[in-house]
Amino acid sequence: MFFESFTDVVPSFFGMLNQGPLTLTLFLHTFIVLPMFWIYASEKKRLNK
Amino acid sequence: MAQENLSVWTSIPFWRRSAAWVTGFATILLIWLTFDTMGQISMGTDADLQQRVTKRVPAATVINYHIEYKMSEKRGHEVPVIGKKEPFFGKEWSPKEAAALLHLGKLTSQAKNCMNCHTLLGNGAYFAPDLTKAWLDPAWQKGGALQPMTGKSTVEEAMSEFLMHPSQYPTHARMMPDLKITADEAKGLVAFLKHMSSIDTNGFPRNFSKTVDQFKTGGTNAH
Repeated sequence: MFFESFTDVVPSFFGMLNQGPLTLTLFLHTFIVLPMFWIYASEKKRLNK
Repeated sequence: MAQENLSVWTSIPFWRRSAAWVTGFATILLIWLTFDTMGQISMGTDADLQQRVTKRVPAATVINYHIEYKMSEKRGHEVPVIGKKEPFFGKEWSPKEAAALLHLGKLTSQAKNCMNCHTLLGNGAYFAPDLTKAWLDPAWQKGGALQPMTGKSTVEEAMSEFLMHPSQYPTHARMMPDLKITADEAKGLVAFLKHMSSIDTNGFPRNFSKTVDQFKTGGTNAH
């Protein structure tokens, strides 16, 4: 199975993301870093104008 | 050609926007996590216990139940399992009485500064044994080394006898000092310890059963 069965006592969003070592960390970092590419691109566009 | 030399990395608005995004997201995440945690650590009710609803922190009336510590293959560590009812100090405690007893135990643990030497739920010192799962320590159960030493026949009576006269019983290489704990305070403390052992701590302290096995083969929990 790609997703493991839910093992936490009280169901929560973060518990769903926490599928194994680093999964929560990787998700949150990806979520933070991706918009920064957009910030970079839009600043580049603004500077080029 | 001049445009290609423009660097975003030296642009102050770029860093400002990045910092605002990261700080803003982290703030929202931390607030969200706070509320997520509050839901997880809120105390259950007596009805939860009767209906066998698993709560991370069970109601105070959990002192009326037998508590075991079992390996959960699914979660990869041991979890407290609340079993059948058993008398605590020879009686069943009502929700009100149990809450009052637990409160007295908590206040006593603070007044006597248990954390100055012991660890409770990860907080405290490492001078004396970790008390998080002390109630489940086989040394205090029937057949254990510590229970007969106090001349008592139940875990709660043996523990409270020890707490009232700790300097009479050599349970640890570093003996506990006499803190002048009264009989009522000792009862409260034992209730506090029993309730604490029923809290699902995600397997903390790690290797509790390992120290139990060590104990069975002649070792000691004192380290």
